[in-house]
Amino acid sequence: MASASTGKKGRSWFKEEFGNPERRTAYYMVLPSLLIIVVVAFFPILYGVVLSLTDSTISGFGSFIGIENYTEMFQDSDFLEGLSNTVIFTVVSVALEFFIGLGIALAINRAFRGRGLVRAAVLVPWAFPTVIAAVMWRLMFQSQVGIIQYVADSLGIISDPILSSRTLLLIGAILVDVWKTTPFVALLLLAGLQTIPGEVYEAARVDGANVMQRFFRITMPLLKGAILVAVLFRTLDAYRVYDLFWVLGNRELASLSTYVYEGVRISQLQFGPGNAAAVFIFVTAFLIALFFIRVLGMRTSVEEE
Amino acid sequence: MTERAEGSGVPAGRKLNRRDFLKMGGAGLAGAALLGTAGCGGGSGGTGQIIFTMGPDTDGSIAKLIKKFNEQNKGKLEAVHRQMPSSTTQYYDKIRTEFQAGTSDVSVIGTDVIWPKQFAPQNWTMDLSDRFPASEQQKFIAVTTQVAEYEGGIYSVPWCSCPDAGLLYYRKDLLDDSGISAPPETWDELKEMAVQVSEDAGIQNGFVFQGANYEGGVCNALEYIWTHGGDVLDENDNVVIDSPEATAGLATYNSMLTSGAAPEAVANWTETESLANFYNGDSVFIRYWPSAYGGLGDTTQTKLKPDQVGIAPIPVDKPGNPTFSCLGGWEMSIYANTDIEEDAWKFIAFMTSEESIKERVIIGGYDPSRKALYEDKEIAEATPVVKLAKDVLLKNVKSRPVTEYYGDTSLEMAEQFNSALKGDISPEKAVKTLQKSLSQIMEESK
Amino acid sequence: MASATTTKGATGRGSLNTVLFYVFLVAFVLVSVFPLLWIFKMSIVTKTELFASPPTILPHTPTSAEYAQIFGDPAFQQALVNSTIISTVTTVICLFFGSITAYAIARLRFRFKGTVMTLILAISFFPAVAIIAPLFIQYAQVGLIDTYASVIITDTVFALPLTIWLLVAFFRELPVDLEDAAKVDGATTIQAFRKVIVPLAAPGVFTTAILTFIHAWNEFLFANTFLLDPATQPVTVAIPNFATVYTVDYGAQAAAAVVVTVPLVILVLIFQRRIVSGLTAGAVKG
Repeated sequence: MASASTGKKGRSWFKEEFGNPERRTAYYMVLPSLLIIVVVAFFPILYGVVLSLTDSTISGFGSFIGIENYTEMFQDSDFLEGLSNTVIFTVVSVALEFFIGLGIALAINRAFRGRGLVRAAVLVPWAFPTVIAAVMWRLMFQSQVGIIQYVADSLGIISDPILSSRTLLLIGAILVDVWKTTPFVALLLLAGLQTIPGEVYEAARVDGANVMQRFFRITMPLLKGAILVAVLFRTLDAYRVYDLFWVLGNRELASLSTYVYEGVRISQLQFGPGNAAAVFIFVTAFLIALFFIRVLGMRTSVEEE
Repeated sequence: MTERAEGSGVPAGRKLNRRDFLKMGGAGLAGAALLGTAGCGGGSGGTGQIIFTMGPDTDGSIAKLIKKFNEQNKGKLEAVHRQMPSSTTQYYDKIRTEFQAGTSDVSVIGTDVIWPKQFAPQNWTMDLSDRFPASEQQKFIAVTTQVAEYEGGIYSVPWCSCPDAGLLYYRKDLLDDSGISAPPETWDELKEMAVQVSEDAGIQNGFVFQGANYEGGVCNALEYIWTHGGDVLDENDNVVIDSPEATAGLATYNSMLTSGAAPEAVANWTETESLANFYNGDSVFIRYWPSAYGGLGDTTQTKLKPDQVGIAPIPVDKPGNPTFSCLGGWEMSIYANTDIEEDAWKFIAFMTSEESIKERVIIGGYDPSRKALYEDKEIAEATPVVKLAKDVLLKNVKSRPVTEYYGDTSLEMAEQFNSALKGDISPEKAVKTLQKSLSQIMEESK
Repeated sequence: MASATTTKGATGRGSLNTVLFYVFLVAFVLVSVFPLLWIFKMSIVTKTELFASPPTILPHTPTSAEYAQIFGDPAFQQALVNSTIISTVTTVICLFFGSITAYAIARLRFRFKGTVMTLILAISFFPAVAIIAPLFIQYAQVGLIDTYASVIITDTVFALPLTIWLLVAFFRELPVDLEDAAKVDGATTIQAFRKVIVPLAAPGVFTTAILTFIHAWNEFLFANTFLLDPATQPVTVAIPNFATVYTVDYGAQAAAAVVVTVPLVILVLIFQRRIVSGLTAGAVKG
């Protein structure tokens, strides 16, 4: 029976899978989740693709217009602004979170007094709903009541009101994201570090390897799996950023996702380009994930033990 | 490892069924109960109930008037207030979605002045021409009925607070100390006075206003454009924003920051920040709506007293030119698909009568839309701003350029005006960009 | 479990390292916690002090007025109720579907397991914003706009990968022959299940419930899109909009932020060990 595992053309695999009552049970058990996922996520995206090829609005289905929405979108300066903000935000915040997170993980990868306190401090920013964190930081950036605006003004670092400047807002958003998520990245990397047995380092030290060599030849390769997982998830999260930009910037800060939202829910005439952007985000996110998995060789956690 | 499970007698999967069945039952019941209870907006339309949508009744005037109406029409008619979001944008979003779905049970809508011209083209509101003839319309301030007109019909009745209009408040006491006896008439005078008096008095800011990238910013900027002789649309709804006058207006707008009269932060201030600043005594001048006056003397809100503050019309570019204030405020419409048109009209007639408007104005400190009420002594006492700003409110209020797709128009204007204010782009570039984008939008509504 | 670190062993440099290390730690803790403390301070001062420049470090005029205001505000209370209902129902549904799916994946063998897991993984990469327009249209057609169901259904889909991922990791930890061993000892299937599986799986399920709840509580995009009526909006939508007709109330916003966050923080701190092990178990074991 097991030999029928290859070749889906043979009929016997079908019987083996669905004829077997236990296997059938397994399929019944996963079916509800799959069903809801397909119905609520995958059908709508197909519908979204169809919509993006028409001149529909939120209230009526329109006629087919080919890729007009896409050309309009690529020429829209708001879209380009959202795209560039998103790319900058993604690259910078993920890089910062990774490096700082790695540093933190390395630094606290040992027993010390106050470890519980540190772990707690790590989790506090993570426990905040993103929206509430954005509200909080926005209050701190605000020109009249904001402590950060005040301090930055006094130190002469900036002279503009933070909330008026799109550049400063973007920097602020990166700051908030790093504050909120670095601890989490550190945690993931720390867990990865802790799976590396101490003997490996001992052996290396005995062989005369110095700190740098131990780090690059042992730590990094063994950590690769955890790093890729952390970086991929963080990259996709940052790429999809919406909550943070929307609430922190109060509509002043554009990302790809806020462009979609504005187009399909706020304005009346931008539904088409908004939808086109929705499809654009979907396709590019998929490509990014594919890149990580195929090119960078990330395991997709499917392996049987 | 998992192969073992398949080797045992009973399939491992079945074992979870009982627990999950219980969970499913529980979740199902909970879900059903919640789905049922959620989503009622309050006040289901019983037979003949007149559902009136409006934001929160912060001073109780709506409840009082509705009670009166229900008593007068006991047994025949009943009106009920369905509370809408306090944020006008959210209210608009919600009511628009209901209209698009076509299943709304509302009858009377409390409508912002910029909505009639957006709802009418979609056939969501009723033409009230036969019930609200020109002879009646004349009793209201002209601009308040003009905003309700569309293709020869009229789609809402002005109510209150209406008109809301931009006014220039100033610290009389500080101007006196600096030897200035009259408020500024032109923008240049305002700039000079703002800088000079704030220095003399040693306070933070000369002039504050709402310059952020939102609807309020549009109102502020339009006042500069209008007082310089420019406009966004002409009488035939052609886009005329690309003009030397409009450019000059935006240049003045930007100069408020560059001259130091206003702090840079106003470019992201809305009503809250600007009013807080003025109420705190940190600014000599503020451009604000009539409601700012009501807070003076109330120590929980501000330490300023009414006799410290004066009201003036919005400045102009050259002496003698007409002033313009941006129009805000609330009116009443009838939903096109309602079954109880007659009853809905009775309600509107009641709420917009002289008596009702007067009562609401006195309770809430609003402006009346009926011209006659500006002579009323009781109102003048309850809402001093009505007396102080009478000329402006009666004659110099102008409406924003509302058309079918005003939502998009507003977004474009808000962004360009804000960028021009901050100096990120030149006024010329701003008006040219707007000429192009607004023309495209106007094309869509043809 | 602590493995060797990369710090040096020499004593002279050792104590300097230790000092630096603790300085770094203190700084780290402060940075993490400071915003919450500052916002708390903002929530307990009067409005005048709130706008004072320069800002005061310690409150000069402490007041509980802001908290009285928000707790007396029916709209805020309603928002809290909405958040609680939506998050709880989502969590229950996710646990239900998630646990049976996770059990099948972790303990049973079937051919298309790889495909199933890829599909589930794909949802965690899925940009939800891409489908808000199609979903809005469809929900509007069946009258689900402004109901909890619209948000619950949608968020269940996007919370499922997390739930399943965590539960798979927990189920995989259970000894393989558990059910068999119990039966060999004479237990019936149900008894084996109740007395053996449930107690062992309970902590894992419990931790998953907490994390799923936090995820659902955090949700903003769907609530912002599908819930237009403030009577149905959860706190994530209500708090940024803390507005009367014209104004935004900073003090009240700060107080509301504190009220909404502190329980979450306490919850997370109490269960920190479980949470950390749950999150990292899934990540490291893949």
